[in-house]
Amino acid sequence: MASLISCPHCGTRPKEEFAIRGDATPLRPSSMASDEAWHDYVHLRTNPRGRVREHWQHVAGCRRWLVVERDNLSHAVFSVTDAATEVDR
Amino acid sequence: MAYDYHAVHALDGTIGAIAERRANHLAVHRATAMAMVLASPGRVPEAAGILVANGDFEVRFSGPGEWLVLSEVHAPETLAAELGVRLGDAAFVIDQSHGRVALTLTGPDAARILANGVAVDLHADSFPVGRAANVLCHHISVNLARTSAQSFDLVVMRSFAEALVDDIKVMARSHDLSVDFATR
Repeated sequence: MASLISCPHCGTRPKEEFAIRGDATPLRPSSMASDEAWHDYVHLRTNPRGRVREHWQHVAGCRRWLVVERDNLSHAVFSVTDAATEVDR
Repeated sequence: MAYDYHAVHALDGTIGAIAERRANHLAVHRATAMAMVLASPGRVPEAAGILVANGDFEVRFSGPGEWLVLSEVHAPETLAAELGVRLGDAAFVIDQSHGRVALTLTGPDAARILANGVAVDLHADSFPVGRAANVLCHHISVNLARTSAQSFDLVVMRSFAEALVDDIKVMARSHDLSVDFATR
């Protein structure tokens, strides 16, 4: 299994144990934000090549949401952190 | 009006016809007291301390602040209530005794058999006795725990038990494996 993700709670696991939600960079606007802000958040996505930040869920393991920073061309994984720690950022 | 309920195990009728014991043996437990414990926010060390302090409970890691608790002392009917009393509001307790099936794989090839379907390193140095983890066995999520050098406990969702036993039979095709209920 080529694609390995190092879960901070479970250790190194194959990507088959995870579900990918997608881009982790858009931040949810406040509930009363303008329609434009919500339109951006819901519909508009960049399509980058290279280093990306994504939300992955370890569904077959600890079931925690993780933020995986990886290269979507080479699938080199740079960092994996629990998404709960991102809340404080 | 009184009803008579007949308890049927998820694997009744699929295993147990042949009573034999080979070098490697997969024992399916008929009734195991089990519960999931999820610590309340910010109270993980407290809940862990209460669980570990009591020798009646076998505590297995499931996720951060989340454990699968098994007990041979308490009955399936009483474990969740017992845990609820001991933990108070430090944790949430959900009874799993009838929701999951516990299996024990024992034998000199136990780790080799599991390695055919599980993607964690099961060498005794990296997965020592007492270690537990939620892992994917083929496409089924199981809680795997090492109970001795040559034996592993698997806890699986009840409705996946039959598929898991079939998978383990395939994984053990080049090894000598027998399958039976733990108590006949």
